[in-house]
Amino acid sequence: MPIRFLQCVCAVLFAAALCVSAQEPVKPPLNPRVITATKQVTIFSGLERQMLQAVQKKDKAALAAMLQDDCTIELPDADPLAGDEWMDSVMAQDYSLKSFVVRQMSVADLGNAVVVKFDRIQDAAAKSGSDSGEFFVVDLWKKNGDAWKLANRYVAKVSSVPWMPGSSPTPTGKQ
Amino acid sequence: MKHPRGRYRLLSAFLFVTLTANFLMAQKVREGSVPEGQQMVPTGKGDAITVAAEPADANAVGQAVVTGNGINYHGGPVMKGTVPIFIIWYGNWNGTGSNTANTRSVIEHYVATLGNSAPMLIDSTYGDNTGNVSGNVSFGGSIIVSSSTNLTDTSLRSTVGNAIAGGKLPNNPNGLYFVLSSSNINETSGFCTQYCGFHTHATLSGSDIKYAFVGNVDRCQSGCEIQTTGPNSAAVGQGGIDGMANVMFHEASEAISDPDLNAWFDTSGQENGDKCNFNFGATSNCNSNGLCTSAGTSTKARFNQTFGSHDYMLQQNWENKNGGACVLHL
Repeated sequence: MPIRFLQCVCAVLFAAALCVSAQEPVKPPLNPRVITATKQVTIFSGLERQMLQAVQKKDKAALAAMLQDDCTIELPDADPLAGDEWMDSVMAQDYSLKSFVVRQMSVADLGNAVVVKFDRIQDAAAKSGSDSGEFFVVDLWKKNGDAWKLANRYVAKVSSVPWMPGSSPTPTGKQ
Repeated sequence: MKHPRGRYRLLSAFLFVTLTANFLMAQKVREGSVPEGQQMVPTGKGDAITVAAEPADANAVGQAVVTGNGINYHGGPVMKGTVPIFIIWYGNWNGTGSNTANTRSVIEHYVATLGNSAPMLIDSTYGDNTGNVSGNVSFGGSIIVSSSTNLTDTSLRSTVGNAIAGGKLPNNPNGLYFVLSSSNINETSGFCTQYCGFHTHATLSGSDIKYAFVGNVDRCQSGCEIQTTGPNSAAVGQGGIDGMANVMFHEASEAISDPDLNAWFDTSGQENGDKCNFNFGATSNCNSNGLCTSAGTSTKARFNQTFGSHDYMLQQNWENKNGGACVLHL
């Protein structure tokens, strides 16, 4: 009986190992280097930070000015939200965005629209619990006159563990 | 028939191997999910934010190091003396548009005259414990690598490594190697969508080689050019020369003040050039009495630097003095 049990365990583990091996996404290593960001990356890094700062400061007018009227926000495990609904959720007093980092941005320029992809790491709390973690965000911005406005946002959660650069510098005892 | 104990041992061994394999695979997945900053210090791909957690080592500050100007010293070396710049022309540089021999000639002249120019001397405000950057660079030579194959970070490194290992360019850890690609070539790790160029370093042929990638920015004029016709354009709409000269200045300034990515950057991980990216300060317009090409003159292209009998449009750089600021010259 124990031998059969062990055989079963082995078979399951072996199958799981094969499955994990086959499904692991190919993720190229990040090479250490320092880039000269494109103009669009410079511009949209600024806009994304403005949006997040508006959320931090509960500045609904500033946030609303950056969204298209028909803006939709698609979050993980949730139905699409209209821009107004999303604003209400992040402007609520029980939502708190303590800190954030925007990084790994790339921008595809389509003329009067751009597709912006980036990683957002945040330390945040909502009524329902922690909203901290690392998120993969794809934004569609459209030009409206001279201003860029967010038309669509797609968010996927990468990790629930927030990591904030600079939040805990290694002490050297020499400062 | 085998004894059951033997089967136990066999199964135990198999179980051990399987569990080990599972464990190793889990480690590999986890490695990819760890925030890059924790592994990529002092810099990470696409953002140097990852370095922000590293504090300045105040005791490493010597006479050659000045701090308190909005950019911090992290203990690594800078490149001192005259820094030779080597160029690898990758792709098709006998082609059309700005992918021509004229571009190669103008860029090589630009590099040869960049040393001790007003913009380059801004770098002399950076130093390490043994001295300061001189602000002098020289043109060390160039080769052409004809190819129609896109670059990756790996093949970029190989391109530099092969040039050195093959004796086509000298092995000089005190030099800076630029790979300049023609506009038909993509660098697939984010050229034109994330960046216009980058610098890094690697051990090649036993030396710590500093190298940079700059593509012909005519590939993405809206992303990497401040104007589509510059003071050195051979034709209207071909801003590649001036756009590349600007990105090369950015990368050279940073590579010299932070060659191993552990010397000078601010609390958000930005190096000196990053702090003034696409910030050009006061500019003039080309006119018929100036040094601009006919294309630059006809479009009244803007410029802000003049040296080596050419006008250039180069971004400002962060000076490590007077509290720090983006400046065109000291």
